[in-house]
Amino acid sequence: MKPEQRTSWALAAPVLALLLWCVAYPNITIIAGSFAHGLGYWREFAHSPSDREALRTTLEVAFGSVVAATAVGLPLAFVLSRVEFRGRRLLQAFAMLPAALPPLVGVIAFLFLYGESGVVTRAVQRGLHLAEPPWRLTGVWAIIFVHAYTMYVYVFLFVSAGLERLDGTLDEAAAGLGASTQFRLRKVTLPLVTPALAGSMLLVFMSALGSFSAPYIFGGGLRVLSTQVVASKLNGSMGMAYVETTVMAIAAVGALLLLRWFERRRTYALTGKGSNTRIALRGPMAHLAPLLATALVFLLILPHAMIVLVAFARDGTWTTQVLPPQYTLENFTRMARDPQLWTPVRNSLWMTVLATIANILVCFVAAYLLVRRRFAGRGLLQLLVVLPWAIPATAIAIGLASTFDRSAPAQLRLLLVGTFWILPLAYFIRGIPLVTSAVEGSLRQMDPSLEDAARGLGASWWLAMRRVVIPAARPGLAAGATLAAITAVGEFVASIVLYTHANRPISMEILAQLRNLSFGTAAAYSVLLIVLVLLISVAARLLGGRAERVETIPTA
Amino acid sequence: MSVRMRALACAALVALASCGGDGRTVLTVYSPHGKDLLEYYEAAFEKAHPTVDVQWVDMGSQDVLDRLRSEAANPQADIWFGAPTEVFDRAAGAGLLSPYKPTWANLLPPEAKGDSDLWYGTYLTPEVIAYNSDAVKAADAPKDWDDVLDPKWKGKVIIRDPLPSGSMRAIFGAMIIRGMGSSGSPDSGYAWLRRLDASTKEYALDPGVLYQKLGRQEGLISLYDMPDIASLRGRFNIPVQYVIPASGTPVLVDAIAIVKGTKHPDIAKQYYEFVTTPAALEYAAKNFYRIPARTDIPLDSLPQWVRDAKTKIKPMPLDRALLAKHLDEWMRYWDANIRNHSKKS
Repeated sequence: MKPEQRTSWALAAPVLALLLWCVAYPNITIIAGSFAHGLGYWREFAHSPSDREALRTTLEVAFGSVVAATAVGLPLAFVLSRVEFRGRRLLQAFAMLPAALPPLVGVIAFLFLYGESGVVTRAVQRGLHLAEPPWRLTGVWAIIFVHAYTMYVYVFLFVSAGLERLDGTLDEAAAGLGASTQFRLRKVTLPLVTPALAGSMLLVFMSALGSFSAPYIFGGGLRVLSTQVVASKLNGSMGMAYVETTVMAIAAVGALLLLRWFERRRTYALTGKGSNTRIALRGPMAHLAPLLATALVFLLILPHAMIVLVAFARDGTWTTQVLPPQYTLENFTRMARDPQLWTPVRNSLWMTVLATIANILVCFVAAYLLVRRRFAGRGLLQLLVVLPWAIPATAIAIGLASTFDRSAPAQLRLLLVGTFWILPLAYFIRGIPLVTSAVEGSLRQMDPSLEDAARGLGASWWLAMRRVVIPAARPGLAAGATLAAITAVGEFVASIVLYTHANRPISMEILAQLRNLSFGTAAAYSVLLIVLVLLISVAARLLGGRAERVETIPTA
Repeated sequence: MSVRMRALACAALVALASCGGDGRTVLTVYSPHGKDLLEYYEAAFEKAHPTVDVQWVDMGSQDVLDRLRSEAANPQADIWFGAPTEVFDRAAGAGLLSPYKPTWANLLPPEAKGDSDLWYGTYLTPEVIAYNSDAVKAADAPKDWDDVLDPKWKGKVIIRDPLPSGSMRAIFGAMIIRGMGSSGSPDSGYAWLRRLDASTKEYALDPGVLYQKLGRQEGLISLYDMPDIASLRGRFNIPVQYVIPASGTPVLVDAIAIVKGTKHPDIAKQYYEFVTTPAALEYAAKNFYRIPARTDIPLDSLPQWVRDAKTKIKPMPLDRALLAKHLDEWMRYWDANIRNHSKKS
């Protein structure tokens, strides 16, 4: 065995073993469960009109969400990283906001804003003197609308990270050789950000595939697979739930293979560490841009503003008015008086820290192996790191709950159900695809010859790693870890299945308040959660950020 | 980066690692009864038993059943406080409960006692017709189940998604059993539910969403349980009133049970008794809108609406064995063949 292969294996073996144990094993439990009655459950699935309808709708929602999220995220990433205008920094700071809206909170905000009795809906209705609400937030389009808002962030973040690594001199060279702007975009820039774009589109596809709250609340009874899983489970047919979960996973894995096939056909890489320049806007656009940016910022901040508004509204007073009629500090004082206020906050932060550190370590190694090494088992690793995104969070939770519910060392089962550790493990699993694909995107843009050159010049493997590979991976690492931490701190869907008293997270506190009909206090806790998420993003920016160089190039 | 990152991580670890037990015995309660009620009993019980730390986990009753199933090999909970008896019967069938006969077992009506002492009733939950009292005058509100199907309410009915809801499953089950007569066929019940679906504007995800939509006049009529609707007005000022259906209504019994495999059976029994004393039940009636199942609580110690519930309601007899056998199947049929079907054609 060559030394190169030895290091590959020394790195790959532990990562593969870990992922097989915590990602594959629970899923195998689910697949085995779907065949518990031979093909019986599968036949039932194939013959059920509601399951067929669910499959069709799920795919419509998933493809629609990819198109919508890309249509928003891609232009925004380009404009923000390539063009300088007044309001750019503000917009850049706010563009991440949708990610700061935990799923449960986001859904409530959208309901209060665009739902039938929402602020925007009623304002339009009053403004135009309509007898009926102008729209109903329901059906496939409503779900895609909500997804576009929450998921464009993936596209935006990944493409921005890609553009940040892009060497501006390449573009300048093409321009110097007489290429037109359009030609340069098509032949230079787009191909170079393709890996990042494709990776993020895959993430959107998979999140949309497994998305639960948006279809459930805004679907208006529309069936998608993720809600079918829960319905089957509540109705006591675990077998059907296992089949539906498996079908969803097959769709996601199919998309993944398609992407990999597409990637193999074209590889581009860059030399250099990347430098970026922005073009200053001139002419009428320079005046228009700040207005557009402000409008966008307004739209982005609206859901958060809504939550803040509800946090100050007196419970029960807001009935048919456009805006809540009475305001109070009561919700916050009630929250502050709660002797257990800090327990869920501390739990969530602690579990987020644990999960994210594990994500950074494991996912960096995984991404490095995937991009830079060829070894037996690479295909398996590729599948394992993306699988948790394909499996809806509910199913991850069900898999963990039915695999680690007893201690059986011979079967590699560890008793985790009912302990503190099961939730950090679930968060870690959910973070794997986020961090890995972000780092992969960054590493793919590194010229492979850079690491070899460093080694050739006498650097040890570790030195080359530290000086070449890790710096190249840094934008992706920072972006991925931020997303993973943000997801973990507000995580709801897996938590509700697995939490215990010892690890009760913030989202469960919000749910307890909602159950208790204290919308105001629930909103106050949501505000707290949003603040936490913002603090995490700021911290990540400080840790992973770099000095930005802004140059003004006259546009000829 | 790495130095700063490490410093931050260390600081976070130190700041966060300061949680741990305090040596008290932990009693774990699974319950859907809500934060306020659970916190009240937690504080009161801990005051009476200073060596016990009550830890409750708040979740829906179907979720409790799901959890107990997945934790069967290593039970985490000691006591299960709250769920309709239908759910407790399923748990009993799956061998998840441990028998205990409380001191007040003889003071309960027969339908509030589980087989083999596996569970006992704590609260009664009658089902009612709810309406928005700002938009609908009391005289115009539906008086009975069939009135809800009146064309004037078409598109104004909002129903809680029935699959995860014990109350809604009970109402749907009652409508099917009511329509069976002697034929034993669910078809006329299905026909009734099909007409209800035609009038229904939307199925609300959870009670909170239902109350919002009802309070804000997205819909005007709903079917739900009396204690929750009463608490909307009393505690939260939401303008919703209810009608007790004239022809009778299913009365669910909410129960309590000790989880099989509990590590603290004695403390669990103490808690069981503690939350079901006459004083505890009166407090729950006044502050948390629960109707006690025990028959020895003097009526005049209870709020007016509870007295009404105890005297004016005509309980609709529900064959528990029939429900246990067929309700899942009926709900599956409804989900696949009735839900939203009137909106498609």
